[in-house]
Amino acid sequence: MINHKSKLRYYGTKLLIFLLSVFLLSVLVFYISRLAPGDPLLSYYGDRVEKMSVAEKEWARDKLGLNDPIYVQYGRWLQGAFHGDFGISFKYKQNVMEVISLRLGNTLILGGIGYILIFVLALGLGILCAWYEDKWVDRVLCRFGTLSCCIPEFWFSMIMILIFCVTLHWLPSSGAYSFGQAGNIPDRIRHLILPMSVVLLNHPWYYGYMIRNKLMEEMRADYVMLAKAKGQSKATILFKHCLRNVFPSYISLMAISVPHVLGGTYIVETVFSYPGIGTLSYESARFADYNMLMVLCMLTGIMVIFCNMLGQIINERIDPRIRANEVLESSEVSSL
Amino acid sequence: MSQLLEIKNLTVTVPGSGGTVHAVRDVSLTLRPGEVLALVGESGCGKSMLCKSIMGLLPKSARIQQGSITVDGRDITLCSQREMRRLRGTLMSIIFQDPMTVLDPTMTIGAQIEEAVAHVDKSLSKKQRHARVLELMEMVGIENPEERSRLYPYNFSGGMRQRSVMAIALAGNPRILLADEPTTALDVTIQAQIIDLLRDIQQRLGTATILVSHDLGVVARAADRVAIMYAGKIVEIGTAEEVYYDPRHPYTWGLMQSLPALSKGKESLHTIPGMPPTLVAPPKGDAFACRNEYALAIDYEQEPPMFQITDTHYAATWLLDPRAPKIPCPMGGGLHG
Amino acid sequence: MADTLLEVRNLCHQFKLGRKAVIRAVDHVSFDLKRGEIFGLVGESGSGKSTLARCIMNICKPQSGQILYDGIDTTDRQAFRKNKTRLQQERQLIFQDSASALNQRMKLCDIVSEPMSIHHIKPKRGSLREEAAFQLHYVGMDRSYLDKYPSEISGGQRQRVAIARAVSMEPKLLVADEPIASLDVSIQAQIINLFKHLRAEHNFSILFIAHDLAMVEYLCDRVGVMYRGSLVEMAPAKELFANPLHPYTKALLSAIPLPDPILERKRRRIDFDALEFSREGTFTEVLPGHFLLQKEAAE
Repeated sequence: MINHKSKLRYYGTKLLIFLLSVFLLSVLVFYISRLAPGDPLLSYYGDRVEKMSVAEKEWARDKLGLNDPIYVQYGRWLQGAFHGDFGISFKYKQNVMEVISLRLGNTLILGGIGYILIFVLALGLGILCAWYEDKWVDRVLCRFGTLSCCIPEFWFSMIMILIFCVTLHWLPSSGAYSFGQAGNIPDRIRHLILPMSVVLLNHPWYYGYMIRNKLMEEMRADYVMLAKAKGQSKATILFKHCLRNVFPSYISLMAISVPHVLGGTYIVETVFSYPGIGTLSYESARFADYNMLMVLCMLTGIMVIFCNMLGQIINERIDPRIRANEVLESSEVSSL
Repeated sequence: MSQLLEIKNLTVTVPGSGGTVHAVRDVSLTLRPGEVLALVGESGCGKSMLCKSIMGLLPKSARIQQGSITVDGRDITLCSQREMRRLRGTLMSIIFQDPMTVLDPTMTIGAQIEEAVAHVDKSLSKKQRHARVLELMEMVGIENPEERSRLYPYNFSGGMRQRSVMAIALAGNPRILLADEPTTALDVTIQAQIIDLLRDIQQRLGTATILVSHDLGVVARAADRVAIMYAGKIVEIGTAEEVYYDPRHPYTWGLMQSLPALSKGKESLHTIPGMPPTLVAPPKGDAFACRNEYALAIDYEQEPPMFQITDTHYAATWLLDPRAPKIPCPMGGGLHG
Repeated sequence: MADTLLEVRNLCHQFKLGRKAVIRAVDHVSFDLKRGEIFGLVGESGSGKSTLARCIMNICKPQSGQILYDGIDTTDRQAFRKNKTRLQQERQLIFQDSASALNQRMKLCDIVSEPMSIHHIKPKRGSLREEAAFQLHYVGMDRSYLDKYPSEISGGQRQRVAIARAVSMEPKLLVADEPIASLDVSIQAQIINLFKHLRAEHNFSILFIAHDLAMVEYLCDRVGVMYRGSLVEMAPAKELFANPLHPYTKALLSAIPLPDPILERKRRRIDFDALEFSREGTFTEVLPGHFLLQKEAAE
């Protein structure tokens, strides 16, 4: 009997921590974005800014509310945010959420599918390496992993563009679809190939390497000796016992690495001018599109915080030792 | 006489960073069906390595340099890994020292025993397997097996875990049971229970057992025959009575004398001077010579052969050579004195 | 000079498990240790032996009760602080696992002389290195070990180094928490002889915690038996082993394996049912010097 009160309390505390972190994040992002160099007027008026007089600029700033003290601006932003109004984008002169919702789908396709593939691939690689421990397969894959970790994504992306677009003309170099072909699925897939390959060639090694080491550590555990003595095959031991023991940490690793993968996707998007959140963030930061930047940072931040907490919860819950802690405590007390 | 297990001139080496370790050196022994043979020796004397060679569980780098291990008329040193896998669990099983770490922490006890059951007889239905699991758990003295089988290892005390490991080992009705220091990690009272259980099961099922231990007391309770190992070799072997009441090898004397039970009232305990040799480069002659207060000149030159004392009692010391001086056992004829 | 060096009075220590559950690791334990006495403490794992040792060494802070070391109440913070240096020099602890208790990156001479350099004690024999060599010699190891690292020596030697380090401060009280459990039989004998020697030569008082009852019988003057945090029986070693009174002590003694096959096979062991145990009752002297935890007679 695990009582519901303590469970409620557990998740209540987590939620509170979550909300607090989000609030702190919003304050931080708001302040820092205004400290960063860049003229928001430039993103609002474009080149016309150069021809504007000082008075005109002042008027424009007033209109956009940029002359108030930062905390007043933040208060205004917070008030709006509570009502679901995140302001307009200076660059697109549209509601921020509208702009984002147009781009979100693209990022989810690239990042989401990429994320799943990364971890499926990593698991496969890790198992392969652990199985062929110290054979050439393992060695080659590990070397590859180290190498790919050292190659920055943007550089790798440019090399890919150079080879497959500029030289070979096989694939398009930018965008999510050709002009006017938004509904053309084969065309979208053609545009996805390059960014996706960069994501997939860059990330899985590292996680695969971790799986390999974890698995090999488990393969040396005493219980493996017993399983062998039982007469079980290497495959059974690896898949049934070791993988089981590795899984909890792998799942929490998956949760914690969301920001890492996300960051990678953003960079890849930017290089390929892929119309997703990543490109948008880059633009908004560059042109001091405050409202846009704010929402994007919050979105990413919430996701990161959420995933970290999720990883923590998974870690605490998946291990039977921790899961049954409450039961154990009560039984031990009664036996004393 | 039929021997269930016959080891002949077995030598096992393990390459290490400091050189090749001669873990088992020219060991020969036999095991009859239904008897308990105890292997006694200090840490690093090669007794665990010997067990692992019988199970075919030697580390990958280890090499069997020479010798054979014949189980039931079949030399298992020639078996492939696949064949060995079939033999494990049914022909021979093993119980390890530390019950805290040998069980998979993420699996229920029942599931882990069931795996062993399934390995032995793949035709069993799920229900039959479960029934067998409960039967096994009852056999090793776990009460409420139905309920306990759903628990995880961390719910169990050390003694209960060791019982579970025994249930796993016994799942296939093995002909040979190897118990590698099964009670070292347990409390005294639990140790006595487990040894009694081991003895009880051995007598009920007629399983031939090799009991590895460093504790002469534990061995006295359970063993029919005792082999004393030193530096990778068997230095003395005989029935329990022979070894305990009429020990012939100076190392056996030393071991017995250092037991507090035999030094009651004495000012200090007997100690064996020096340290066991490293087995990277085993010394020429008798490995025990430099710690042996009765060492003869020949001990430093030539390894002593196994001298026969009775039909069952052998010892490897030059003191038994007819030309050697007669040295009485310093304990005055063993424990009875 | 008082005859009693250490006096433990009604000591309690609890571990919290979660919000409500507590484990009473040490529960109303009282005993005393005379100067030059070897007191054995036995019991199964989890019976609170080590916790008791830690409380005595001020590593754990007990919930209630008193520990009087030479008249100083070490549980009292002010008294402890006032006598801190003296307490730290005169009480030394030896752990079971010397492999992890010794710093792997330090040479033996530095390990052994470390307590002296910490307390800024002027080495009697010229240099710290000489002092370390002397201490090592004392535990039966020669100078050639001075520049070795703990990983280069055997378990028995490591345990000796740990003892040499403890002894270097010339302590009055040595608390040895399972010092021989991980050692081979012949090495155990060496360590036990060393303890006997230390007591005979320097009048050390030793609190010897062990689960090897045969060694305890051989080494100790008096023995206390712990069960689930309580001291259930305490008597001179001879008396306890000849005439155990508490059912748990009986079970414990019957489980000691004897190195005698004929005798051992015939021996029946006595089981102790954990459910029978109750910590209620008082610790009373039933025979001269023989204490027992028992329910008060209904008189």
